[in-house]
Amino acid sequence: MLIFDNLSLIFIGLILLGVIPNLFYMFGYLPHIHRKIHFLIHYFVFIISMFGVVVADNIILFLFFWELMSLTSWQLILTDEKQKGVSQIARFYFFMTHFGFIFILLLFLILSNGDLEHSTFSILKENATHFKYPFLLFVFVILGFLSKAGVVPLHVWLPYAHPKAPSPVSALMSGIMLKVALYAMVRFLFDVLYPWSLEWGIIILMLGAISSLVGVLYALSEHDIKALLANHSIENIGIILIGFGMGMIFDTLGLKTFSSFAFIASLFHIFNHMSFKSLLFMGAGSILHQTHTKNMERYGGLIKSMPITAWTFLIASISISALPPSNGFLSEWMIFQSLLNSSSVTMLELKLAIPFAIFALALTGGLAIACFVKAYGITFLGLHRNQNAKHATEVNIFMQIGMILMALVVISLMLFTPWFIGYFDQAISDFNHTPVYDIIFSHGIWQMHSVGSHGGVVSPLILLGLLIFITGTIYGVQKLFKPKIRLHHSWACGYQTTHTTQYSATGFAGPIRRFFSWLYGHNEKLKTVKISDANATYDESFFEVHVQPLFEDTLYKKLVYFTNLMSYYIYRFSHFEQQQHYSGVIFALLLFVLFSYRIFMGEFSWLSLIFELIMMMAVSKILIFGDKK
Amino acid sequence: MILYIFTILLLLTIAPLLIGMIKSLKMFFLYKKPVSIFQPYASFNKLLIKELVISHESSIITRIAPLLVLSPLLVVLLFLPPVVHGAYYIGFVDAFTIIGLISLSTFFLMLLGLDSGNAFGGMGSSREAFIASLVEPAMILTIFSVGLMAKDLGVGNASINLAIHFPVEHASSFLFAGISFFILLLAENGRLPIDNPETHLELTMIHEAMILDISGLYLFIIEMAGSIKFVIFASLFVTLFMPYGVNLIAPLAILVFVAKLILVSIIVALIEVNGAKLRLFKVPNLLGISIVFAFLSLITFYVLGA
Repeated sequence: MLIFDNLSLIFIGLILLGVIPNLFYMFGYLPHIHRKIHFLIHYFVFIISMFGVVVADNIILFLFFWELMSLTSWQLILTDEKQKGVSQIARFYFFMTHFGFIFILLLFLILSNGDLEHSTFSILKENATHFKYPFLLFVFVILGFLSKAGVVPLHVWLPYAHPKAPSPVSALMSGIMLKVALYAMVRFLFDVLYPWSLEWGIIILMLGAISSLVGVLYALSEHDIKALLANHSIENIGIILIGFGMGMIFDTLGLKTFSSFAFIASLFHIFNHMSFKSLLFMGAGSILHQTHTKNMERYGGLIKSMPITAWTFLIASISISALPPSNGFLSEWMIFQSLLNSSSVTMLELKLAIPFAIFALALTGGLAIACFVKAYGITFLGLHRNQNAKHATEVNIFMQIGMILMALVVISLMLFTPWFIGYFDQAISDFNHTPVYDIIFSHGIWQMHSVGSHGGVVSPLILLGLLIFITGTIYGVQKLFKPKIRLHHSWACGYQTTHTTQYSATGFAGPIRRFFSWLYGHNEKLKTVKISDANATYDESFFEVHVQPLFEDTLYKKLVYFTNLMSYYIYRFSHFEQQQHYSGVIFALLLFVLFSYRIFMGEFSWLSLIFELIMMMAVSKILIFGDKK
Repeated sequence: MILYIFTILLLLTIAPLLIGMIKSLKMFFLYKKPVSIFQPYASFNKLLIKELVISHESSIITRIAPLLVLSPLLVVLLFLPPVVHGAYYIGFVDAFTIIGLISLSTFFLMLLGLDSGNAFGGMGSSREAFIASLVEPAMILTIFSVGLMAKDLGVGNASINLAIHFPVEHASSFLFAGISFFILLLAENGRLPIDNPETHLELTMIHEAMILDISGLYLFIIEMAGSIKFVIFASLFVTLFMPYGVNLIAPLAILVFVAKLILVSIIVALIEVNGAKLRLFKVPNLLGISIVFAFLSLITFYVLGA
């Protein structure tokens, strides 16, 4: 019925680490919520359902909890039902999760031979070994589980749905629910579909690389702080998948220690992303709570009025930007090392391709730093840009406790890295992967070694100690100088500094937006009010940039357009009235029989097939559908 | 151990000298009367005794960021490759950590730019973020390639390996990596094709714009960090791409090392004299060249066989 192996246990640990600070935060946030009973019921059921998914061994139970998780999170998005556009987004979310659910259900029905009630993962594994087309199952896993995890191009719901939920729920959804979806993928790939083929790993790696880049680029162009964080979730899921994909590639190539290292790296990044993303969403929620706006252009100078939020947000920003010695750096370092281990691969094609993934990951890292300088600098530093930010005060004590606890989780993931890695090592060695803990910490817990033959070494605690020591020394020496301090207004080359002279979030991302304009396809609007008879001076002006969501516009809207077109023709086909259409149908059918007869007789050639297809299309267009009405 | 401490102290002391030398060389080439190469020491001394003006608009970040700009770079200084064969060095720290520490320093510098609330600071931060994010992939690919050729990712061990056995069969990939790294040296230190360290014309500056509202002691810390960053990159360049002279006896090896650093400074000065600053949106082209060379270096290494 239930399963409590090490993989489930570490995910239970993950949920507990994420939920406990969140409970405090939620308690502080509660006065802000109108429908309290509705919210509380769904909030707790949501948490229980996530626990349920990671421990369920019985398939029907797994599906029940999975669906419960989707439904409660859907209701939680609808908590503030009067928010603009929320019902539309909730509907979109509902549709996308059930799009994934269909594939999960298909997967389970195929693998359990229709007997969902009595199937466990071990039975599924038996059936999977007999199934002829394991690639189909793999595609179902990707479509089903990774659509929930928000992988490009199935990510479109994520930047809309996460920001609309109340902040504690956003933290849960982004921090934990995506990881639960990844758990399902990991469980399936490890437990059910085990002998992988090489292409699967490459597909996962490519999905990861694309997701990480697309996620961070869209995050950079956002000025809604919660949407920015939601886009960053896509990026981090991408980073996790890069690690996981490398692990799968190494595993199929028989490099077992490398694969274990890569899996540990991605599990570690799952934990790290949970910690800092929950913290960031809590911080964003506190700001939203105080300023009543999600627009970053209205923040500024909040570090003076909200110090606890600002400092915890800074810790999370450093961690998510993968700057040493934070935990985010450590897991990204591990993922980099596993990419570098590709130099031991003997397949030259693969070896030459993997540097592109390194490029993607490195560019993602660089852009993430830019993005969080923007998020932190525009929100907390400078002068308040608006009345909203001027009157902000520190949030209540429960929200502060929630954020501090989460910051402690972030810090503890950095300090107790060996301990966590030991657990991850146990979890993957349950699935017959080589344990590598002894190689990673072969020289004691002070140094982390890469498993590669010429791999790198990092020592987080020594780094942290050195940084603190040297900063302290400089501080002490600086105090010795006893500099005379004078407070004065910013100089700024003699210009006056007011809140309007500051750089805005849009402006900050300007160079990057311009450089990647082929992706953004943004349109800029400049509204100006001219003073009469003056061409160069404006009374007031207003600049606006809208970034086109590429995947939504191309993939999804085109799909909708194509489906509409098809349904139009089917409608016309089944509702013909005039006589000549009737004869046209008969003529087309005759042609069809004739052509298919040739094929069945074995006189098949691609050229004639194409010719016949064109003929059929022309005949049906001219004779049956006629002109568009 | 003594040599190790001596090297660090040496690097700390000659860091401003190199900057001063570039400046006076540039003036010499431009037929101006050159300033003394010890000018940076005098300026630093002046900054130390000057009063510290802190802007009203800024927050506590302005008070802590200068320390956090300098301290990661000082940590990097501890991890640099040895100058003399047999000297103590911390060999295990890999290049990712070093890149990360440099990014940490840049991160706080960018926050510093946004803190004082003036438009120039934001402009500088924004541009720095743009350039830094494009430098990152080239940097990682380059050091990966060098690490493969040196058969170790730890920079200390890598430089020792290269000094003992220089991979002549991979000279082409080495050259490509060297070109890529030199472009990154220019980009990360805000040298001329990317940023003009001398200009104080507001609309073109990057590094100077971020520190416009910093003065006195804090400006000293930031300027010192800038020169240390240059010395870090220069010494990484000379130890990884010109690994000669390490096996000599200690005083001679150190002299050779300093001579190589001076050579790098002269090359930088020559590039600065002979080139103009690129437009901001042309900078990605230069960095793109660096990325392409890094890729080429890796690909030639793989194709020729390890």
